[in-house]
Amino acid sequence: MKTPALIRQAIRSMDRYRLRSAFMMLGSLVGAAALTFVVSLAQGAEAKMLRTVKQVVGDGSVIVAGGGSRMMGGPHAAAGRLTIDDVAAAVQQVPGIEAWDPQAVVRETVRHADSTTEVRVIGGSEHWSRVWGRGVARGESFDRSAIEGSSRVALIGETVAHRIFGAENPIGGDIRIGAVPFRVIGVLEPFGVDMHGMDRDDEIVVPLSTLMRRVTNIDAIGAAKIVVADPRREDTVAASLRQALRARHRLDRDRPDDFSIMTSSQVQGMVSTIERVLWLYVPLVGGIVLIIGGGVAATLMLASVNERTAEIGLRTAIGARPADIRWQFIAETAATVVLGGLGGVVLGLAGVQLVALHLPLDSTVSWAAVAISVLASIVVGFAAGVAPAQRAARLNPVDALR
Amino acid sequence: MIDLESIGKTYTRQTGESVRALDDVSLRIERGEFVAIVGASGSGKSTLMNVLGLLDEPTEGRYRFDAEDVSNLSLAARAGFRNARIGFVFQSFHLLARTSALENVELPLLYSDRADIAGLGERALAAVGLADRMQHTPAELSGGQQQRVAIARALVNEPDLLLADEPTGNLDAAVAAEIMSILQSLNRAGRTIVLVTHDPAMASAARRLVRLAHGRVVSDGPIASGDITLAPTVLEAR
Repeated sequence: MKTPALIRQAIRSMDRYRLRSAFMMLGSLVGAAALTFVVSLAQGAEAKMLRTVKQVVGDGSVIVAGGGSRMMGGPHAAAGRLTIDDVAAAVQQVPGIEAWDPQAVVRETVRHADSTTEVRVIGGSEHWSRVWGRGVARGESFDRSAIEGSSRVALIGETVAHRIFGAENPIGGDIRIGAVPFRVIGVLEPFGVDMHGMDRDDEIVVPLSTLMRRVTNIDAIGAAKIVVADPRREDTVAASLRQALRARHRLDRDRPDDFSIMTSSQVQGMVSTIERVLWLYVPLVGGIVLIIGGGVAATLMLASVNERTAEIGLRTAIGARPADIRWQFIAETAATVVLGGLGGVVLGLAGVQLVALHLPLDSTVSWAAVAISVLASIVVGFAAGVAPAQRAARLNPVDALR
Repeated sequence: MIDLESIGKTYTRQTGESVRALDDVSLRIERGEFVAIVGASGSGKSTLMNVLGLLDEPTEGRYRFDAEDVSNLSLAARAGFRNARIGFVFQSFHLLARTSALENVELPLLYSDRADIAGLGERALAAVGLADRMQHTPAELSGGQQQRVAIARALVNEPDLLLADEPTGNLDAAVAAEIMSILQSLNRAGRTIVLVTHDPAMASAARRLVRLAHGRVVSDGPIASGDITLAPTVLEAR
């Protein structure tokens, strides 16, 4: 039989035995859907994380945080050991630094008229906007004089603005952070959700000096971001900063750092590790589902061969060679399983689109996962067809027609 | 056209017991003949049909088809030979379910090397009077119509020999007569037909009668009136 006729016959047969075909497709459908869905999702999540990590950390920068070693938990407001003077002194000694910004973060109650809400309040320097790559969408930012004068001015995120001002224009509005009155001078550029799942539009930025002196009354900062002039030198800069900070904190050779320091490439590397783990286990699970599905398909096809002895006998009588019968059943099994796999890929991709609508991740299509799903269902489909096809081809037409 | 020479067939049952199904059968069938092979069940008529149709190999003797020795062809060669030269009609029709009459009829063409197959299916269906039923599935056809589809399928590749194994076994008398008259008219048009049946009434539609008993030919000759009792319906059909 010629190949086009073989494929047509396989499709006709799928149509003739719809229920059986549906069950045969189930394994490859679920396997391919899971593989495509999870790997695409992981890739989308990773892309989103990398993007926000880049937004927060940026290329060619070094983050110094107070407290030892707990970096991925985010900066700690009450680390206590890191001050603006520490960082300023260290930065003075290290060449190749473009800009830096000290930062302190607290949670405070914010009021406006009758509305009350609790938000993250971030204190930053006049370099805040340039260092963190985030400006104001409306109104204006604060400058050096605001820092020097500890002005009670605030930049508020869209979420905060919506929550406490409603439809009212927040620019020029009065708010209280804790007990301290502030005037809103700008609305922050929208950011969205960051890699920790935090809504970065639900925060307020004020001059660090104001926050420390008037709101919290502490002199320690949570962290500082240092932008390196030449991104290729970030490791060197980080090492020099570490030495300078250790010297300033008078740490002996045998004592560990009482601050943590990390470069942007180290943070990005951490995110990529997550994907490597997914790449190992998800295809394994998808593969196992596909193989089980192949077993189910082979079993159902064997049952189908037994049920269709008369058809096989008839085809043999009218001139089908053993090879024709063998290929008929291999094609039928493979076509069914591959169709299931293709359906699974479509289902998986649709699932990714759906989830991306509701979760903070990009709707990426992992073409590698799609290719693996399709290839695996082709291999499994053909393999599952071999045993039923052998049995069908070996049938004696005289017995089969009886 | 067909020359069987001292054909013997011995089966070995699963119990180890060997069965002599055909014993020294010699038979010549010429082009254009209509031969009925009759015998009781177990007489060897089915085995003889399987040998004639190249579905089964004889254990002894020689089978020549148009002077070509076909006794020991390979499985694939036999399949090709059946496809090109022999048409089969079975008692239980063996039509593919949920498949149109036309597709059923065209099935043998799938396994054919012929290039000029366009229109053959339609022509064969028209020849058995089913031109208006081409797209019907077997479930939508009566028993007699299903067997006519099967006859059209047997004829689609224009075979030299038409083998019919109890073609009326599943049909009632009136419809059976209809099928027999189709076979008769095919034979009048020149088709060589071998009919295997246990029913003497059906055998009477043929022109030559071969009677088998215990794997041997016990009588062979033209059908004369009075040889067989004819059923009234068959008489009418004739």
